[in-house]
Amino acid sequence: MASESVPESASKSYTAGLKEQLMENRRVRFLVSPGSGLFWILLFLVAPLTIIVAFSFFKPGEAGSIVYELTLANYREFVSSSVYHTVIWDSIKIGIITTLIVLPLGYTLGYFLGRTESRWTPVLLGLVVVQFWVPLIIRTYAWITVLGRNGVINKFLTAIGVIGEPVQLLYTTNGMILGLVVSILPFMVLPVYSAVSTIEEDVIQAAKTLGASDARAFFEVTLPLSWPGVVSGILFTFILSAGSFVAPALLGGPEDRLIAPVIATIFTNDFNWPFAAALSLVYILFLAVLLYLFTRKADLEEALEGTQI
Amino acid sequence: MSGSSRWNWPAVKGASLLIYLSMLLPLAVVVINSFNAARIPSFPPSEYSLRWYGAFLQDETFMSAIWNSLKVGIAAAVLSGAIGTATAMGFVRKQFPFKKSLAIAMLTPMLVPPVIIGVSSTILFVQIGWDRSILWLVVMHTLVALPYAFLVIRSRLYLFDESLEDAAMTLGADRLTTFREVTFPIVAPSILTAMVLSFVISFGEFTASQFWVDRTTTTVPVVIYSMVRTLITPKVNVLATLVLVVTTAIPILGIVVQRFVLSNAQSQ
Repeated sequence: MASESVPESASKSYTAGLKEQLMENRRVRFLVSPGSGLFWILLFLVAPLTIIVAFSFFKPGEAGSIVYELTLANYREFVSSSVYHTVIWDSIKIGIITTLIVLPLGYTLGYFLGRTESRWTPVLLGLVVVQFWVPLIIRTYAWITVLGRNGVINKFLTAIGVIGEPVQLLYTTNGMILGLVVSILPFMVLPVYSAVSTIEEDVIQAAKTLGASDARAFFEVTLPLSWPGVVSGILFTFILSAGSFVAPALLGGPEDRLIAPVIATIFTNDFNWPFAAALSLVYILFLAVLLYLFTRKADLEEALEGTQI
Repeated sequence: MSGSSRWNWPAVKGASLLIYLSMLLPLAVVVINSFNAARIPSFPPSEYSLRWYGAFLQDETFMSAIWNSLKVGIAAAVLSGAIGTATAMGFVRKQFPFKKSLAIAMLTPMLVPPVIIGVSSTILFVQIGWDRSILWLVVMHTLVALPYAFLVIRSRLYLFDESLEDAAMTLGADRLTTFREVTFPIVAPSILTAMVLSFVISFGEFTASQFWVDRTTTTVPVVIYSMVRTLITPKVNVLATLVLVVTTAIPILGIVVQRFVLSNAQSQ
């Protein structure tokens, strides 16, 4: 571009020109930038989901083989068998129950972190962030030692005389919900914290100067202003709990048949890949409808960004 | 406190304390139990020892799982860091059709349940005749971590002052030099964050990975799961404790490097 570069050696300007040309090539540039990530999604998420659409119309053969013949049998089995309706319904129910518990608890801690003036705030915040880093399998496994018949909770309750005999906590629906709630809490705490901590002290003070009580200032100022964080938390909590695998597998009882462990069993133990594919698609379809309804009320992209601080 | 902007503060504090207890107590029990000498650990331990740490180090299954997890985690971190950077640059700098929808497409791995990601990719790979190998884990963990890497780097790029690049180019730097000398040093801390996050996600991923591993490529979370489901050995507590330490220490190390090393380099 500058005239001084003309006397330089021909080969150097040739490679520079080539480089320039390559960078100007639109296709190369697309692949260098947004294309690479989208390509990865296409190859390893969209393509697998597309092939299971085909598989859901094939027949399961003997011993896990697949008969490549088109059939609606898998969907017919889903529609006619109440077992799988119960599975879907139970998953939604657990999702709703978990969300109803996580919402007030997560909001409380997010609110605490957002408004506290303690000098320990960075540490307290760090303890929540750490929950994202420690693998889910370990956080869930840890509850086995706590909930068991000889676990910490039973020992403590027996020692202080609340119960005479150890009670069954592990391998029950309640135990599973407890594990789900605690493991998902950070997904509510962090977005609420981000929202609450940006609310100016003055805004709340103004409401109170105008005569609002503490409660009224909270419900009419703080809560509405932190709503985007709440929405993000609700989205994650529902999706993660309704589709959870680890908590039902490790903490739940035999009656806790949620969609994710059921698909895994059909796939791994029964080797019925076509039916596993059909069930996966039914669930994906349900999620898609849910997310579509969500996008009409809130910004999905913003909600997904919510847990980043 | 009459002038405070808080509501119901004592109750909020009490509830927060209980929530912290529920998040931290179970992990503390696992760590303490890893030093429990008993074969069937009861809490609190009656005798402490390093016995299970010794037994753990002798265990071939555990050692190979740790090695696999480290390899996959590092590869996935590098890949999702590189792809995440390129993709985020594209989304921030360029205009192209359906940008908003494509940004959501980038985030879909966060929305699809991991069991379905695991099952569908296994069906595809088996169908095209790709045998199970450690590469399955690398490409799929990259997929799972990619949205997080993308978000972290993109949010940093939004704050980036593009006139710095214009200045470099005006002074005669070509595109690559400008990227190497101007853009990269400014974006580097967020790329590091993205890579650390990707490593931690990969290292802990279980639900989808259970479909991808075979006997030789099994990873730490899968080993923990199958041990817990079959025979509970005290060695699991040792492994869980070590994973707890690794997955906490690496991000903290990342933050330290970012704060002190990279910011010093930048200010020079």
